[in-house]
Amino acid sequence: MSATEPRTELDVAVEVNGEPRRARVEARRSLAELLRDDLELTGTHLGCEHGVCGSCTVLLDGVPVRSCLMLAVQAEGRSVVTVEGLADGDRLHPVQQGCLERHSFQCGFCTPGILLTAAALLDAQPEPDEAAVREAISGNICRCTGYESIVDGILRAAEIAREAADGHAGEGA
Amino acid sequence: MVARLVGSSVARVEDPRILTGRGHYLDDVRLPGMLHAAFVRSPFPHAAVLGIDVTEALQVPGVRAVITIDDLDRVAGPLVPAGPPDLLVAPFPALARDRVRLVGDPVAVVLADSRAEAEDGVEAVEVDYDPLPGVGDMDDVLAGGTELVFPELGDNVLHRSTHRYGDTDAAFATAHRVVSARLDQHRHANVPMECRGIVAAFDPAAGTLEVQAAHQSPHALRMHLADVLGIPAHAVRVRCGDIGGSFGQKFGLSHEEVAIAGASVLVGRPVKWIEDRSENLMVGGQAREERVDVEAAVDPEGRILGLRVRMVMDQGAYPKVGYPATGYLSIVRALLPAAYRIDDIDFESVIVASNKATYVPYRGPWEIETWARERLLDLVARELGIDPVDVRERNLLTSADFPRASATGVELLGFDPRRTFDDTVDLLDLDAFRARQAAARAEGRLVGIGLANVVEPAPVTPSLIRAMGIMAAPRTVQEARARLELDGSVTVFTSQMPHGQSHETTLAQLTADQLGVGIDRVRVVHGDTRDTPFNLVGTGGSRAATLASGAVVGVARRVRDRVLEVASQLMEIDPADLDLVDGSVVARGAPGVSTPLAEIGRLAWVRPGLANADGRPGIEETATFDSAEGTWSVATHACEVEIDPETGLVRVDRYVVVGDCGAVINPAVVDGQVRGGVVQGIGAVLLERSAYDREAQFLSSTFMDHLLPTALDVPRIEVHHVHHEPTDEINFRGVGEGGAIGAPAALTSAIEDALAHLGVRVTEQFLPPVRILELIDAATGA
Amino acid sequence: MKPAPFAYVAPDSVEGVVGALVEAGDDAKVLAGGQSLLPLMALRLGRPSVLVDVGRVDGLDRVEVVGDDLVVGATVTHARLGRDPEVARVAPLLAEVAPFVAHAAVRNRGTLGGSLAHNDPAAEWPAVALLLDVVVTVQGPTGAREIAAADLFESYLTTTIEPDEVLTAVRVPGLGPRGGAAFDEVSRRAGDFALVGAGARVTLDDDGAVASAAVSFLGVGSTAVLDATVGADLAGRPPDEAAIDEVARAAAARLDPHDDLHATAAYRRRLAATLARRTLTTAVARASAEVAS
Repeated sequence: MSATEPRTELDVAVEVNGEPRRARVEARRSLAELLRDDLELTGTHLGCEHGVCGSCTVLLDGVPVRSCLMLAVQAEGRSVVTVEGLADGDRLHPVQQGCLERHSFQCGFCTPGILLTAAALLDAQPEPDEAAVREAISGNICRCTGYESIVDGILRAAEIAREAADGHAGEGA
Repeated sequence: MVARLVGSSVARVEDPRILTGRGHYLDDVRLPGMLHAAFVRSPFPHAAVLGIDVTEALQVPGVRAVITIDDLDRVAGPLVPAGPPDLLVAPFPALARDRVRLVGDPVAVVLADSRAEAEDGVEAVEVDYDPLPGVGDMDDVLAGGTELVFPELGDNVLHRSTHRYGDTDAAFATAHRVVSARLDQHRHANVPMECRGIVAAFDPAAGTLEVQAAHQSPHALRMHLADVLGIPAHAVRVRCGDIGGSFGQKFGLSHEEVAIAGASVLVGRPVKWIEDRSENLMVGGQAREERVDVEAAVDPEGRILGLRVRMVMDQGAYPKVGYPATGYLSIVRALLPAAYRIDDIDFESVIVASNKATYVPYRGPWEIETWARERLLDLVARELGIDPVDVRERNLLTSADFPRASATGVELLGFDPRRTFDDTVDLLDLDAFRARQAAARAEGRLVGIGLANVVEPAPVTPSLIRAMGIMAAPRTVQEARARLELDGSVTVFTSQMPHGQSHETTLAQLTADQLGVGIDRVRVVHGDTRDTPFNLVGTGGSRAATLASGAVVGVARRVRDRVLEVASQLMEIDPADLDLVDGSVVARGAPGVSTPLAEIGRLAWVRPGLANADGRPGIEETATFDSAEGTWSVATHACEVEIDPETGLVRVDRYVVVGDCGAVINPAVVDGQVRGGVVQGIGAVLLERSAYDREAQFLSSTFMDHLLPTALDVPRIEVHHVHHEPTDEINFRGVGEGGAIGAPAALTSAIEDALAHLGVRVTEQFLPPVRILELIDAATGA
Repeated sequence: MKPAPFAYVAPDSVEGVVGALVEAGDDAKVLAGGQSLLPLMALRLGRPSVLVDVGRVDGLDRVEVVGDDLVVGATVTHARLGRDPEVARVAPLLAEVAPFVAHAAVRNRGTLGGSLAHNDPAAEWPAVALLLDVVVTVQGPTGAREIAAADLFESYLTTTIEPDEVLTAVRVPGLGPRGGAAFDEVSRRAGDFALVGAGARVTLDDDGAVASAAVSFLGVGSTAVLDATVGADLAGRPPDEAAIDEVARAAAARLDPHDDLHATAAYRRRLAATLARRTLTTAVARASAEVAS
């Protein structure tokens, strides 16, 4: 990566879900392809490959980005969180738990991008209202649900996170 | 037995894997030696193919093979669409032989070590095209003289028929007035978030073809592939994992499925093709391009006395193998009266060919029957100066009319359309809305309200099938198989192929309740043709709730009966005195006397002769269930909109659905189906269009051109349920399609209502902001 | 939907970037956020042979206040512009426009500099740059030079930045006393490229009459459009509703917009008039607030 000559194949080192990972990739490989094909983290989905649908959204240094609109080599030295990295062992992340409780999803294809977008939202804004949730996920297309159940799941996640922060168990009813 | 799970929003069995990124979608499949495919596709709507040169493509790094029709001919026959005698259809090759018929028509397949390299190879294939005039407009076809899409058929008009019900001429003779309209619905598409795809692995040594696919009907795909490739059916297996939505698109047999399976046979290696978004928007399948010309004879109160209807659909270039185009029109014809008292109807059907993408079923493929009828009712109301709500009320059937055979021969029973309608009108508080509307208009604001009544066959009923004139045996019967495992857990095999419908949850709820076990003791297996019962449809047609549920309840009861018989032998108690509770067989009235299901399962498998007199081990049963009359899922949709007079942007402020889908297995699942469908219908009106120009050049191959609703474009959808008396013990009715059927009608009704005082009449379904302003200008002479 | 092959290099200095551009020749492209370039490449509508990534260059991610001006480094993202308090204080219009750009995940990667160098006629920043008389600094093999926004945008996806030059900074002048600016757009959906957008800038004199004004438009042709005639038409007049409405209509009438899949030229002209009126009204209100304070 420190090469000063343009190369068509490069080594890339990225922290993914807390673990250092390395791969040798074509320059044209997207971050999404690095995750899916080289690192076998297939939870990240490609829904359009031109940056509109949001299915491929991951966290880059804590903020959501489109992994189809980023080259793998651009992630050199950065930290990436994918849907596989949201849960803490067997304990679901609040957005996963909230979406489970509210039947948020149907086919599951847009799900990874929405979960990570929601996780970043709650990080930045722990008590969002419905309008803030809708705005936050407006770059993520879901074709199944009509969004209402997803909005409810994220609002429930905020409650779960608050309950956990207040020292209550976050398992919910 | 007290139902414990059915009726409650049990957490989805699918969710733990889907929420943690551990689902298994088609693009996640990786096989040793697998090659990646990309298609060379026509940039022209219509052209002769004079030559294909693959020499340079074979030199591209990573490219392993380029397959054209000359190669494919060695292993695959043509795709052969079926249809009734009065529908013109022709067989066609999976890759272009001498002609391309639409933008995106596959010409060759490039196989490479990666998809990116396959795409490099695609760019290097030289195809010599001689462009022909493209056919992109149904009026051009009807006028005659368009370039023939299939010269061997001799016509671009593929079907004409007329059906007459009652005495329409007499009805028109007594009419107070005749209201007529040309109602245009635009081509749009299913657009699942996961595109189509297939991984085909032919094993030359074994002669077997293992296929994994994103597909609604694995058994149909297996049948078609075995047939086209000439491989014995015993050597073909199709499996489907998690599927990222479909809405009717991943259905039947496609060019690509044949080409990829054939490519695998040719190279003897696994081949993967994952459709990209541009391909999906271009050729994945499109729908809804239909026109209804209607004349209605009405009395002074707005009652419909008779209808003359002519429906034209543009089916595109290639018919869908597995769904004859006449099917789209015959169901519209049969359902047109729906919940209204319309007794005299003439219905002409016309199907034309064009250089556009293949027509596929899209969530409620007959949707135009609701849209056109509800549009007509509004137009009648405007013409006569009557409130549209009153016109509907005057024409709706009442409970006294039931049971009833519709004019088209459909048996209507098991619902009361006035219940959902009246409840909706109450919820809307119409008088208050009209007051708000008047105040808004005084301020120059445009607000409107709209309604629509939907009668969804969920699933199709025997009389509807007869009314459609399908001569073949009804394909509604479903089978389920269930096995009590060695440890007392239960495996249920369904012919459903869920792709978002939560059948792993709902069918497990039904099974668990019948057997008195927890949902975690039941596994629902689907999607492997080696394991699952045969069914040509898989999941589609809102069939699961009734048919799959009926089969599963039936088979669970058989397992239960067998369990009690075995327990009776073991416990020496009459089966009638035994019950299944919390995973054990217990003696009624003596809860201390019990045998765990695990023990029964184990002994049934291991002790010879215990479970079956003929020595077969274990308890494994099958059951079937077929449709009956009365499985109607009805709803009234209503919505309120506000339109910005300066920009033409429409905001949906409120959306209400009051529905009756019988008993509900899982309310969250049901409401999710309704809401998702409604939002697709809202998108159809405001955003979504598969756009072609008049010469059939395709214009919307990215998500910048083909727009889908986002979370900011739709309101909360209020869903309310009413329940009619059950007609059958299995009283679960489908809800997969009604949402998408009702929304275009209710939304266009509301838009017209907002603009009606300006003189605007809405006769088209696609209403982007530019069109809204054009309608206002045209009506006001601005 | 995969890009054609290319070579990639990520120099750690501006000089290194220029050197790589010189060496690679006309086929090279600078990669900043990549949010416009990479989709074009995925669709194979763009196929540079070399991408020179400016993301590793130290110091390009700075936002600085220099006198009355705001200087924004080439790799500063839209998201940063939307939340940086210095931006909100010195160039509030930038903070106001940022949320109009696509969606949050794109704003977290895409940059102001990249958007100006890309010059999509439906993008927000070229229109804003014209409105605010922004000046960009570019560095090439013979050194740095400045290009005023008025001289920057040539035509569809084309600027006057040479292939061996890289944009390093964007200087945004302050509005000055009694100045106000506003922006608005209409899109099919929130986050889409706008059908039409407009920005307006107004400076009032001590009497509350218009001293200077301009509007700019996006989505109305092959590149963003600045209309200075509005300023001449309004100069010396009190900016009342009638005057604003008149000049807004006149400005829209001077445009030559295009038909496309989403809208007609007539519709675009009409939106342009509406948006010019709305933004001029807001800009006047903001300038008046300045006068009052």
